[in-house]
Amino acid sequence: MATVIMKWLETTPGAYDRGIRLLTLGRLYPLKQRIATEYIQTNGRSDVRVLEIGCGTGTLALMMAEKGAQVTAIDASPAMLTEARGKAAEAGVLESINFQHLNVTELGQHFEPASFDVIVSTLVFSELPTEVSQYALLACSQLLKPGGRLLIADEMVPSATWKQLIYWAVRLPLVVLTWLLTRTSTAPLRDFSNALAQAGFVSRQVESLLGGSLQLIEARPEEAVEMVPPTAYPRLRHRITLKTLALDLLSLVNRVIPPYPKIRTGLYRVGNPDRDAPVLLTGNYELTVRRLVKTLDGQVDCWLVVANSQGINVWCAAGGGHFTASDVISGLKTSGILEMVDHRALILPQLCANGVDGWHVRQETGWGVHWGPVRARDIPAYLQNGRKKNQPMRQANFPLRDRLEMTTVMLFLYAFLLLIPVLIFWRPYIFLIYGLMISISYFYGIFLPWIPGRDGLGKGAVLALLTLVGLWAWSLGWGQLEPASLFGWSLGLGFLAFFVGAEFQGMSPLMRGEQANWSVEGLVGGATLLVYAAGRLLFGGGL
Amino acid sequence: MSLKEMVAQEIRTVRELRYLNIEFDPERCSGTWQCYEVCPIGLWMPNYGTRVVEYGDAQQCIACGACVLQCQPQAIKLVVAKG
Repeated sequence: MATVIMKWLETTPGAYDRGIRLLTLGRLYPLKQRIATEYIQTNGRSDVRVLEIGCGTGTLALMMAEKGAQVTAIDASPAMLTEARGKAAEAGVLESINFQHLNVTELGQHFEPASFDVIVSTLVFSELPTEVSQYALLACSQLLKPGGRLLIADEMVPSATWKQLIYWAVRLPLVVLTWLLTRTSTAPLRDFSNALAQAGFVSRQVESLLGGSLQLIEARPEEAVEMVPPTAYPRLRHRITLKTLALDLLSLVNRVIPPYPKIRTGLYRVGNPDRDAPVLLTGNYELTVRRLVKTLDGQVDCWLVVANSQGINVWCAAGGGHFTASDVISGLKTSGILEMVDHRALILPQLCANGVDGWHVRQETGWGVHWGPVRARDIPAYLQNGRKKNQPMRQANFPLRDRLEMTTVMLFLYAFLLLIPVLIFWRPYIFLIYGLMISISYFYGIFLPWIPGRDGLGKGAVLALLTLVGLWAWSLGWGQLEPASLFGWSLGLGFLAFFVGAEFQGMSPLMRGEQANWSVEGLVGGATLLVYAAGRLLFGGGL
Repeated sequence: MSLKEMVAQEIRTVRELRYLNIEFDPERCSGTWQCYEVCPIGLWMPNYGTRVVEYGDAQQCIACGACVLQCQPQAIKLVVAKG
């Protein structure tokens, strides 16, 4: 279900660049310059090979290419790579940079061991789950030539307590501001020198900025370390506790504004799976995993790989580009599932097919990809049928129960958004306004399938019309509203109804994406305000 | 970007979402039926005789893009309908 307003989560490459500049207060750029000047020394050689992991829009890759190095730059986001290629072409260094669409867990199979003099990575490891970052570090130590260096510039949580206090005092407002402006956020690394040591690196801090929250680390491989997968994996059970009830309440009150409750990524057991047990994969949204386990526990013995969808449900995460083939591949390679089963058949949620390229997963991992049913409760029957779906299993629907749940979720958001304007302008009417909003929303949620209109905008317009008819009928029959205040109420309620109707599109799995609605809603809202202002001039009064 | 361009861009996006149509090239279809496997609306149906898929009412399409992404021979496109 579309339980997150997707448009809020979309990060474009340009916005990402701005977000990172803001989060690091502009200090990342000089750090990149330092890497390029100090560590990329070609001394006339033309065969200095550098690998950049997560090149983003290519700032550092360009600097290093201009120093004469042969740069291989990988990124998991095609949009970032397109932007980076454009910048490289403009700077005239496109020939010396080899851009590749890869993620960190694919390094080993695409490059020969000992093929790079330097590996650099800025603000990548802070975005990786622990097991993925460990896997990537091991890959780096194999890819480096003898005497090679790994350079990591990233956000870190300082180790001293007093520094942490200052750090959070500065960081918290910065995080909120950055997220609001650019939808970009990062999760700083903790205890990274320890992670490096575990992967066989000896490391030292080269530079520490912003009170230790932005650091440049230089590491060189000292000993070869094998990745030791854990032998026991936690078992997930269906339990109702105070904590799950609190999380349920939280997901009803706020499902839209991050942070979303997450579950640790990695491999889990459901029941007692053996080496032939089916392998399911899903995102790390807490509610998704809990609802999945609720239907599976006691019915099915299977392995569950929880991959990184940034705590967003799979449908929205896949639609917004936060859950891709790259995350699925990382999950398969780093969770330890490869050692636990003899087969290579992966069951993915059908609703992530809008973002996870199944062929890419097949190609990179050799696993067969099977699209499971839309709803978790169909999984037992799907597995019993030998991974065959019948028609209802593959079809999304939006039954009354889900519509009521989504209406409630949205109402909490509207109530929150409306609170300040209502308190300032229409304080005496607060219960009336909220009561009307709740009635209109539930009316819409219940009768949605029968309200004419092909999308949220159409249905919203119909809802606004119905509301106005209701208002005027009441005013003619029972109410004694002054023309001026009828005018004000009509505009206010009409727009509210239209907004509710149009916004709901993002919550429904049966309507087209709603990125476009935001602008139309804004236009209609602006027009409403203009009409209201004009009306006030004429009538000299209002709501 | 000027205001005029921004408005034009917004109108384009609204149009694209409202008037989306499916363009399907049966010649390219390799018969793996991945679109049938992933369509949450049940728009794509396999034809067991020809081994090629067929689609139903394009107006039902929610433009999630799953079939386009999973179609390896790139036989499916979502395009803005004319008119």
